[in-house]
Amino acid sequence: MIFRNLPVPTSVRERVTPRHLVAFGLGWLALFFVLPILVLVWQSLGIGTGEPLSAYQQALSGLYLWTIVRSFYYGIATTIVTLALAYAFSYFVVFWTSMKNLFLILVVLPLWIAYIIRYLGIQLFFSPTGPFVDLFGTDFGFLFSTRGVILGMTIAYLPFAILPIYNSMNAIDRDHIHASRVLGAGSLRTVYSVVFPLSLSGIVAAGLIVFILSSGSFLAPAVLGSSENFMIANMIERSYTELFNIELAAALSVIYTIILLALIAVFNSYVNLGEVFENI
Amino acid sequence: MKLYKVAEQFAAWLVAVIVLSLLLVPIVMIVLTSLTPESFPTIPDGDVTLYWYSEMLSNTELMQALVTSFLVATCAAILSGIVGTVAAIGFVRSEISYREELATLMLLPLMISPVITGLAIIQFSSQADLPSGYPTLIIGHSILTLPYVFLIVRSRLVTFDDDLREASRVLGANGLETSLNITLPVISPTVISAMVISFVVSFGEFTATQFLIAPDATTVPVIIYTMLRAGLSPEISALSTLLIAIMVLGALISGAVTRST
Repeated sequence: MIFRNLPVPTSVRERVTPRHLVAFGLGWLALFFVLPILVLVWQSLGIGTGEPLSAYQQALSGLYLWTIVRSFYYGIATTIVTLALAYAFSYFVVFWTSMKNLFLILVVLPLWIAYIIRYLGIQLFFSPTGPFVDLFGTDFGFLFSTRGVILGMTIAYLPFAILPIYNSMNAIDRDHIHASRVLGAGSLRTVYSVVFPLSLSGIVAAGLIVFILSSGSFLAPAVLGSSENFMIANMIERSYTELFNIELAAALSVIYTIILLALIAVFNSYVNLGEVFENI
Repeated sequence: MKLYKVAEQFAAWLVAVIVLSLLLVPIVMIVLTSLTPESFPTIPDGDVTLYWYSEMLSNTELMQALVTSFLVATCAAILSGIVGTVAAIGFVRSEISYREELATLMLLPLMISPVITGLAIIQFSSQADLPSGYPTLIIGHSILTLPYVFLIVRSRLVTFDDDLREASRVLGANGLETSLNITLPVISPTVISAMVISFVVSFGEFTATQFLIAPDATTVPVIIYTMLRAGLSPEISALSTLLIAIMVLGALISGAVTRST
């Protein structure tokens, strides 16, 4: 089908420039995303309630402060475990197997399945009637604990770590590795002085993504943890739906987002996040 | 030396098996426990039944949620497909200052925790007097899926052959005709694949959605979460298996569409 001589006035069809298209996209985002976030920031200030900024005082004390600390602690722990597994796995796929595509498909497949379903699967695996307890007689404290939450997030975010690391490692010129071997380096020495430095950008990208996603996770603590494992996202939800304290929920959101965006800004000079997400 | 090699190979395969089991066992668990004849979700030993599927199909609340999820995901995919494609074309073809920074702005919905996005949108929608339920759900999901379309279409456009457009213009077509006859047919498989991804993301989204639902518009993931709070049951596994099937189908469609080019 060819479109010709459409009854559109010349003034319209020749005047729509790429700038207008950009403005349309950004305008949509501004109206339904940026503006709502700004309204949330305004509400967090609590102006007109008699006690402005009291929500921030509350959010930065006691239980809530601990939850913020815990979110970042869980985020860091998850990032470390995930990076270690993803690095070893990528190394295996790049250098040890000829079935690269099969392994990559199996890694990408879980990304299509909703988080809630995958977390449910993990809970089923460790549940009292599940195969793990059947086999060992105990779940070794995996369910409804810190361990369970970190294991759950590791499983959920592993593909996001494997893909950038795999890509950067796969792009390494094999001649560099041969050169290292010819010059007498063993495989461990080759990994740490050739492969590791050349795949560092993938590691940083993977670490950043996993940290962003895991520190803001709601479902992992909700499905695999107890109230003692609540993270910032759970506190925001609870302040809003149970305590009806919108100022507190908004203040927690603002504090968390500022810390996270500052972190992204620091790393953005090193890795371009657009490219990072594009690789996924 | 030889022994060392064998050990290295063994370690490499061990890591691969551990990582793949971590990724795939949870999904397999869902499918297996949906077939159990027991009243609690356990792996069936020999006896399998589809009882929990018939139970699920006769649950009107679940079926209503499936319809809602389907409608919301379809509308959100169309919306983010249009907005994301238009924005991607604009960003690739224009020379504006701060282009990279503004493009990063388009990715913000991926970086901000969905709890915050959900909270912000429901607050905004109630203050702007938007009708709750479908309109809020659809707009919210279109925002959450916008970065996917934007990224995927943009990376396709970067490899687009500009000579094709030039040829069309030289042959006398105007800007609009060139877009409709040249650009869109070339990028349409990518756009469709991006919309399928948006559909699947929207279908499974829970964290932001829990704020956006209304009593007459509840989506499947929210139902799963609510049922989960009441306790594990094979019916949840059956419903989740249905979702897995839909999502894997999405993956296959997206793969087929991209491969056909």
